Amino acid sequence: MIEFSDVGLRYGNGPEILKDLTFSIEPGSFHFLTGPSGAGKTSLLRLLLLSLKPSRGRVTMFDQDVSDLTQDRLLQMRRHIGIVFQEFRLLDHLTTYENVALPLRVLGQAESEYRPNVTELLEWVGLGERMDAPPSLLSGGEKQRAAIARAVIARPKVLLADEPTGNVDPELSSRLVHLFAELNRTLGTTIILATHELPLLDQFPYPRMLLSKGELVIHD
Amino acid sequence: MIERALALLPRRVRVGAAPIVPERSVAGRTLLLLITIMSFLSAVTLGGVVLVQKSAIAWSSDVGREVTIQIRPVEGEVMESNLRTAVSLAQATPGVSSARALTLEESQKLLEPWLGAGLDLTAIEVPRLVVVQLADPIDADVEKLARDLEAVKGASLDTHAAWRQQLNTMAGTIVFSGLMILTLIGVATVLAIIFATRGAMATNREIVDVLHYIGASNRFIAGAFQGRFLSIGLQGGFLGAVAAVLFFMLIGTAAGNMMSNQASAQFGVLFGRFALGWDGMIFIILVVPVIAALTAVTSRHTVRRYLSQTS
Repeated sequence: MIEFSDVGLRYGNGPEILKDLTFSIEPGSFHFLTGPSGAGKTSLLRLLLLSLKPSRGRVTMFDQDVSDLTQDRLLQMRRHIGIVFQEFRLLDHLTTYENVALPLRVLGQAESEYRPNVTELLEWVGLGERMDAPPSLLSGGEKQRAAIARAVIARPKVLLADEPTGNVDPELSSRLVHLFAELNRTLGTTIILATHELPLLDQFPYPRMLLSKGELVIHD
Repeated sequence: MIERALALLPRRVRVGAAPIVPERSVAGRTLLLLITIMSFLSAVTLGGVVLVQKSAIAWSSDVGREVTIQIRPVEGEVMESNLRTAVSLAQATPGVSSARALTLEESQKLLEPWLGAGLDLTAIEVPRLVVVQLADPIDADVEKLARDLEAVKGASLDTHAAWRQQLNTMAGTIVFSGLMILTLIGVATVLAIIFATRGAMATNREIVDVLHYIGASNRFIAGAFQGRFLSIGLQGGFLGAVAAVLFFMLIGTAAGNMMSNQASAQFGVLFGRFALGWDGMIFIILVVPVIAALTAVTSRHTVRRYLSQTS
């Protein structure tokens, strides 16, 4: 599903942030992406999100080389990728329901069409009673669950999560990763979850991609 | 305002989706005020141009319906006889509705502004005038009248062509100046909208980023912003047009009340009665969609350019 071959990335004329990355991700798999701060986790996620192009090497996603895609095709492919951020990035002027429904509005669906799905998903992530609340009234855990719901509502093939547990306590972190695991199991979504919380990794049997100084040192 | 009220309702009660770009995040009030002022200036300029144009056409038409025969005193000629001949020739010309020689008293009144009142014209010989009214300025055979008058010694025909030419030139200059002012207002409006849009985009960078991440196209994002700007453009255009209509009503009433009857009459002859009429009103109402469209198109173009530069 995703293939990186000798991929390097640099910003402008600066030093290489990512070096010689070669790995593949199978459909329906779950991977932890870990490493110390500044190792290049976010840059790798941005490559996977197609918001950056590699400086060298070859990236193949969904059986297509992404280096020479048109803007329209890139947009089509990005719609198969969901993203969850550490800082949630929910829109404060919309309710929880409207935030989660946003990807479907972007796809041009009518509200009558998406309402049952959004309601069902919000109930599934435990926000059934909070769907009319604006993000400012949600707790950290609720915000992250809303952000996860928004990322998966359009049924992406790949879900990327950039330090999704960074703003919640350890107990809630574990529950959030269980939620990702449940999504992976029930929907078959491929998940790449970036975190630097090593104790969290030990609780789950998923393979780890360890980045150090821009190089992939472990991929099991 | 309505959207804010609707936002307070529970989701299940609300109809329609909430706006993706929040109303308050676009520098709404400042931009609304600016567009209102620009619309008002556009509407007043347009109304002024219509008034001048209408007055010039009416004036030109009035002047064109009249020609004047001037008979200078010539030694050996009898003035009264020449006047009668000139009147007869005029009346016999096709397209002439009436011809009348001005009496001595009327001639005296015409000279009063230059020579003063109480002048006795019987002591001096002055040129006399015959006023000829044309039934139809186009069909009247003025050239035949000019040829016939060659038989009357000292007679000459004034068709006021030079006056009409000057009047048309003056009206044309005012209309052209008005259109130039309108163009400048349009350019200033476009520049203000560009700055406001770029400011709004910078303020809403977070929304733009989130929309990009969830797979929104630049077209979709531009549409979300365009809707907000179109709404502001419509409101501003409407308020400006209403203010302009009130302005014309106010100065029309004020001109009638504050000036003496004589001054008001002269002012009315020169500049009309500040009555825009239906055609003027239509021009002012047209300012609303034009300003709204200008706002929407400019903001859309600016947003798409901004997005192509940043994404």
